[in-house]
Amino acid sequence: MTHDLNRRTLLKAALGSAGLSALGSLPAFAQDARIRLYWWGSKERADRTLKAVSLYQERNPSVKIDGETLAWGDYWPRLATQAAGRNAPDLIQMDYRYVAEYARRGALMPLDEFLGKSLDIGDFDKASLDSCKVDGKLYGINIGNNSNALIYNKAAFQKAGVAEPIDVTWDKFFELAAAVTKAHNGEYFGTSDASAEEVAFENWLRQRGKALYTEDGKLGLDEKDAADWFAMWAKARETKACPPADLQALDKNNIETNLLTQGRAACAFNHSNQYVGYQVLNKNPLGITMYPQGAGPNPGHYLKPSMMWSIYARSKVAEPAVKFANFTVKDVDGAKLLGVERGVPASPKIREAVSAELDAQGKLVVDFISHVTPKVGPIPPAPPKGAGEIQTMLRRISEQVGFGRLSTADGGKQYVSEAQAILSRA
Amino acid sequence: MTTTAQIPLTISEPEKRSRPRGGLSRTLVSYSFLAPWLIGFLGLTLGPTLASLYLSFTNFDLLQDPQFIGTANYQRIVTNDVKFWHSMQVTFAYVVMAVPLKLAFALGLAMVLNRGIAGLPLYRALFYLPSLLGASVAIAVLWRQLFAKDGLVNVALALFGIDGPSWISDPNYSLYTLVLLSIWQFGSPMIIFLAGLRQIPSDVYEAADIDGANKVQQFVKITLPLLTPVIFFNGIVQTIDAFKAFTPAFIISEGTGGPIDSTLFYTLYLYQEGFAYFRMGYASALAWILLIIIACFTAFSFLTSRYWVHYND
Repeated sequence: MTHDLNRRTLLKAALGSAGLSALGSLPAFAQDARIRLYWWGSKERADRTLKAVSLYQERNPSVKIDGETLAWGDYWPRLATQAAGRNAPDLIQMDYRYVAEYARRGALMPLDEFLGKSLDIGDFDKASLDSCKVDGKLYGINIGNNSNALIYNKAAFQKAGVAEPIDVTWDKFFELAAAVTKAHNGEYFGTSDASAEEVAFENWLRQRGKALYTEDGKLGLDEKDAADWFAMWAKARETKACPPADLQALDKNNIETNLLTQGRAACAFNHSNQYVGYQVLNKNPLGITMYPQGAGPNPGHYLKPSMMWSIYARSKVAEPAVKFANFTVKDVDGAKLLGVERGVPASPKIREAVSAELDAQGKLVVDFISHVTPKVGPIPPAPPKGAGEIQTMLRRISEQVGFGRLSTADGGKQYVSEAQAILSRA
Repeated sequence: MTTTAQIPLTISEPEKRSRPRGGLSRTLVSYSFLAPWLIGFLGLTLGPTLASLYLSFTNFDLLQDPQFIGTANYQRIVTNDVKFWHSMQVTFAYVVMAVPLKLAFALGLAMVLNRGIAGLPLYRALFYLPSLLGASVAIAVLWRQLFAKDGLVNVALALFGIDGPSWISDPNYSLYTLVLLSIWQFGSPMIIFLAGLRQIPSDVYEAADIDGANKVQQFVKITLPLLTPVIFFNGIVQTIDAFKAFTPAFIISEGTGGPIDSTLFYTLYLYQEGFAYFRMGYASALAWILLIIIACFTAFSFLTSRYWVHYND
């Protein structure tokens, strides 16, 4: 009978195997948990995350964790699409920018019920907890704190025979940067052009007592603020402190294409936790310091959760997912594997344990956060809907000014009018 | 779901039949072979297409249920969307440049290859190769390297003392670089042109030779008219492709359409609205407008074709 492989047996076999595969999608044992873990970031982050995952699986054989990782730009479209299909990953690396949006639309699970049980983060300071709350409920587990950081190539400043740009004013910063460019015969620039970087813009605005957005989600700056910002960078372009627009346009807003990594400029405006990722891709030893300062007393910097773990509202394995998240922020072994690449741990005990075993670069990041902490201001409110579009728009207008298609004053006007249009639409 | 519903049907059917082997069985067999495509078409093409028609009349942010808002999306697109018109302009400029140039290049090369040079199959395969790779991500990445400020293209230009611009990151040149990338994928129209040229009987040319027509006259009076069905076909296929172009612009500009929206193709704008700014209803409306434009263009081509396409039968 087995030899008689006719069409009908073939069809029956096909039907049988279809049935089997349907059964296969059910968990074989009820206590087994399969967690889908989703994060954005560099390869360095992926390596660290997967190490933590395998250690956890070793210790908890009944848990299986499937990791998915994407670059920042592709990460959010995919997450939104999966959420629309009601099929988002269980454990989601969440950003401060998006947590309110996802939480208010019911895509995330409030974590308050896990507190003190599987989620043992009672020793987090108030700021580290509050920054992960939306409307009074906890929607994120702080993986680590960071702040704005200027990351720079030490050798480039040494070659120019000028001081490193540590805690300097903007004027002094551009002076140093221009000297670096000069020392490299104009082939290598003192700083990348950060006029398109929203983090730098925000920091600079806070120094003048303004903000990107107000508490109630309106625009927190006026035309003159934006125009002054563009004018400052236009002057830097003129003095060759930063590269011309066509060179700067190669920067696609990630570590890999940043002009510092590309060997074109000596400074990158970024976040402190990204120092680790930058150093992996840069041969020269890198320094880390605060952004240039304004003349007034207002602090531009603030501490924020560089990222958090959130649980998908429809997740069937919320409890095991929370346990794994807890492992990465409260278990010494798990936290050590992540290091400070996702930010400096919020738990004092873990911070101490992790710091003790850090390499020199990791120590620099921790020291930087300690250096910044007394100088920071309050965290700004979560950005309103449409903020992502405004961020893209800043890049476009900065390019228009850079390529000489808009005056700095018109750039300021356009930023404000477009931003208001976007906010009123969203 | 659909699969499991169909499989029992095909099994139980033979038992009911009076004759063991007949026409019905053949039909079922052919449908079962067609099934993978048919299920894919219904489930992955037609279903989503109809869903997007509904969504185009809604406000849908992916996370919450869509809210019906009538024709508001369409009204906004037409009356109050600068980016819509800008991306239209970019796309039309791309279509108008890329399609004729690509077809001319493909035809020229097909004519060279048609002259019976040795090793024709090898050349044909080599020339076709870019088309196999062309729309892929890897080639777009390669292109980005070639046309960077210090890319291979500028190194070559430097040999002639030309200081080339940064082709892909300068808004004055970035669109042309994409046009060039499209022309480079001339393989599939070339193969079709080659087949078309082979169809033209040689005695027509012999007669023309005897009558004293030179090569240019032969090309204009014989080759082109007899090739019009193939030109028509290639033209439509390539134009639709050009309207839908997405991958090269997406990869080369990393999804931004930059610098300064100079490569913001319509499809890229649609993608941004839907997947970057989570306005899926609006993006659906944009998609339907593109569909209508392509449909109008195709209908127009077919209607006018009778005046210039000569079918040799």
